[in-house]
Amino acid sequence: MNNFRYFPNSKKDIAKLYRVLGVKDKKELFGKILGGIPLMDAALLTTVPKESDEEALYRFFLNIDSNIPAKNKTAVFAGGGIYNHFVPSAIDSLISRSEFYTPYTPYQPEVSQGTLFALFEFQSFIAEILGMDVVNASMYDGAESLAEAVLMAMRLSPANRDLPVSRKDDIIIISEGVNPSYTSVIKTFAGGTGVKIGKVKLNTQTGQTDIMDLKQKLANGGGRAPAVVVQQPNYFGIIEDLEELERLIHSNSNSGYNPSFIVSSTEPYSFGVINPPGFYNADIFAGEGNSFGNYMNFGGPLLGLFAAKKEYVRQMPGRIVGKTKDGKDRDAYAFILSTREQHIRRGAATSNICTNSSLNAVRAAIYLSLCSKSGFKEIASLNLKLAHILRDRLLSSGLFEPLYEGDFFNEFSLKLKINGNKHNNMAASEFIEKMAERDIIAGIAVSESAVLISATENNRLSDIEKYAENAKEVLNA
Amino acid sequence: MPKFPGIKGIFLDEDPLIEQGSKRLRGIGIPDCGLKKSDLKKDESAYIDAKYIRKSPPELPEVSEPTVVRHFTRLSSWNMCVDTVFYPLGSCTMKYNPKINEKIASLENIKNLHPLTPAGLIQPVLKIVYDFNEILCGLTGLAEFGFAPQAGAAGEFAGLKIIKKYFDLKGENRKTILVPDSSHGTNPASSVLAGFTPVEIKTGKAGTLDAEELKKFVSKDAAGIMITNPNTFGVFEKDIKKIAEIMHNNGSFVYMDGANFNAFLGSVKVSDMGIDLIQLNLHKTFSTPHGGGGPGNGAIGVVESLREFLPVPYVKVGGKSTGVEKDSGEKADGGNKSNNRKDNSYSRQVYELSEDKKNSIGRMTPFLCNFAVVLRAYAYLLSLGRENIGSVSEIAVLNANYVKKKLGKILSGSDPFEEGLCMHECVFSDKAIEENGVSTIELAKLLIDYGFHPPTVYFPKNIHGAIMIEPTETESVRTLDNFIKAVKEIKFKTKKSKAVKSPQKTKVGRVNEVLANKQPVFKY
Repeated sequence: MNNFRYFPNSKKDIAKLYRVLGVKDKKELFGKILGGIPLMDAALLTTVPKESDEEALYRFFLNIDSNIPAKNKTAVFAGGGIYNHFVPSAIDSLISRSEFYTPYTPYQPEVSQGTLFALFEFQSFIAEILGMDVVNASMYDGAESLAEAVLMAMRLSPANRDLPVSRKDDIIIISEGVNPSYTSVIKTFAGGTGVKIGKVKLNTQTGQTDIMDLKQKLANGGGRAPAVVVQQPNYFGIIEDLEELERLIHSNSNSGYNPSFIVSSTEPYSFGVINPPGFYNADIFAGEGNSFGNYMNFGGPLLGLFAAKKEYVRQMPGRIVGKTKDGKDRDAYAFILSTREQHIRRGAATSNICTNSSLNAVRAAIYLSLCSKSGFKEIASLNLKLAHILRDRLLSSGLFEPLYEGDFFNEFSLKLKINGNKHNNMAASEFIEKMAERDIIAGIAVSESAVLISATENNRLSDIEKYAENAKEVLNA
Repeated sequence: MPKFPGIKGIFLDEDPLIEQGSKRLRGIGIPDCGLKKSDLKKDESAYIDAKYIRKSPPELPEVSEPTVVRHFTRLSSWNMCVDTVFYPLGSCTMKYNPKINEKIASLENIKNLHPLTPAGLIQPVLKIVYDFNEILCGLTGLAEFGFAPQAGAAGEFAGLKIIKKYFDLKGENRKTILVPDSSHGTNPASSVLAGFTPVEIKTGKAGTLDAEELKKFVSKDAAGIMITNPNTFGVFEKDIKKIAEIMHNNGSFVYMDGANFNAFLGSVKVSDMGIDLIQLNLHKTFSTPHGGGGPGNGAIGVVESLREFLPVPYVKVGGKSTGVEKDSGEKADGGNKSNNRKDNSYSRQVYELSEDKKNSIGRMTPFLCNFAVVLRAYAYLLSLGRENIGSVSEIAVLNANYVKKKLGKILSGSDPFEEGLCMHECVFSDKAIEENGVSTIELAKLLIDYGFHPPTVYFPKNIHGAIMIEPTETESVRTLDNFIKAVKEIKFKTKKSKAVKSPQKTKVGRVNEVLANKQPVFKY
């Protein structure tokens, strides 16, 4: 039998290795190592398929690819945390360079300047977009990033940490405008500390976080709120009034608790049109960056963005690239402030994160470079306009009604009416499935009868027309 | 004997992109969405309240496509990577990343698939995750894997959360996780994150855990032990079965850090060692690229009794009659009969995304998992097949032992575990090189000039000046010999004056990390 193609040692080489080690064969080798643990014969494992040649393997996956919704004929209007943006070819071409995708984390800066410099540019671009001081070199995804932001806020409040703090009376205040999956991930991460989660309602008219309710929640917590979390634009697509929220949250300091104003986002493309969190004195930003040059990939890998004010940098999770010099005074880049991290601090680290979304971050850096200053703004503006045209078109059919009236960027929610009768609702999930049969991914269900719909520069006016016409047929059926 | 790859060459310098801009240049062709000119011209304030509108756009570089492509291509040339050099980074399993996997992950419809597309339309994709789980269960002997964890550390966290929740439900307040002092830093960090106090256990000479020593730490406080096997010295934990027995008798769990699973792949089932939970780093053992620090996947596997605790959502086979025969064991030969949606086998919805796990630790990620990573790992296993999978660990172990034996002669007295065999990696102290006046960091930097990526250095901590080498199965004896020769030259021929100045052939020399930390510069 010939050697498998991924193994560069020939049978002869392998025989040499055994000879040098003075061991006869695999059985003896593993026998000596494992003691009493049995050696398994993988060739007998029926759960593992037989080997596949490259061509057969490709055909197998090609067949899978041709049996799912086809990019070239499916109009995607689903968002809800991940968006269907255009990805220029230059990104795929650059990122397929082995020098980017096959190295490890740049622990040896002298031979990793390419990745480090690209990540430094990533940090620079994201800091610009968010209006924040310090951005790290990425987290796994928006939800995990947000959960880490909450944990960071808990390290910052209460300020006086001479004694271990019981978190039983603490409350993390989260707007109902935060993506519910993100809130679930926060619970997974922070749940162990005993901290409670308090939810703030949305204003039923505007869909913005309800200021009166937030006021009450802050008061109810007895002042023990390490963090208030909102999302911009929120889960239902509505633009929050960060100015008003900030004023309330930052005036609420109480017995060592200065609630961190945490802003999340699943669509930071919005900050090409609307003011970013940094302009409103946000303490921490934690959200999703997949919209910048990354594919949807059925939900992952994603790109967690994490940013904070400079004064909190030592409490930040994750890796940060800094600019420095080498011995000859040439510009050089390296990871900095590593004493926050697990490989140095072990149990006392700010986070356990090690591997993150480095390659996705490099993709984002390339993407934002390609967009450039004017293109970024123009695409953001295009998103805003397409979404408004789509919403107007759908509302004019009389088959939908708005869930909320607040301003939005590229995503909005509508309730469905059958035959224009608002008391005769079609289940949102049924609508979506019926539309999917017509090659339209119409959105995602956010309630029994409401659909969350997004539009991006990957949707044409003709797609919008197609959506409206098919919706009419589906809802009038 | 081949020449050393590190000779010299041209390094192209490159300015930050922001300095290369010229007003209104851009490198993107924005889709023409068919908007009317009047709409395109309309001010944003026609759509939203002016108070929200950003007046100063972010200062991104203003550059064309060729400028961007040259910029990042030049940057890439400053990196060493698996495809250009031997990259024996211990504990990181820097094996070859098969190119077909990249091609598969680039398939147009898969990469553009929205994760919330109705399940009826994406049966073949859900089936990938389902089938991959079956394969991993077969290879480990465990009952089920959850794919939500995005990396090894996230897998550890998931596993520990599962243990925590198990005891919470039982009404037992177990506060500690036992962690050997030779473990990866993520282990204690993950323990804290999951709400435990890590208790460090001193390990023996080779980082192995002694069953008798362990007994001193075992009490009703211990929820479990986190054990890396083979340990961070590359040494198999001989007492593992005894350790598992001690823990199980105490009602505690055995969590195995699977970062080093390459040593076992296709040769050892972890269930035979009494392991209850393990995370598998798909970006190590299963060949998916490290990406310069991610993305990855840290699939968390558990025994039967813990399945109900796994993260959600997961891929479930629903319905009473599935109408699909399990075709595990079939060759991946195009799969026409089972992957055609129009065919009967997919006419009914079979696979679904479910949150139905009674005691789930909850959600860890917004959607299902790092699917594109799982996809590559699945393709890797299908390529190898059951015939070749056992060779992975066999050759990895052979290569590591070859380096151990050959280097052991050159670095005499530096192998803390000279007598026995290692598994997938070997570790040396700096004893022998120090005798010749070379420190571990100097060895690492000198190796760069020879054209090799350095091994992992100064880890594990309990070996003085540790040098940890993991060759993997995708390196040839020829490459190993060349590397060994370089170490030999360094040990016997290097002058101190040269060592302190190395590396000299790289884009930049030794980086001033003190300055970097003292006056941190985070952005342009």
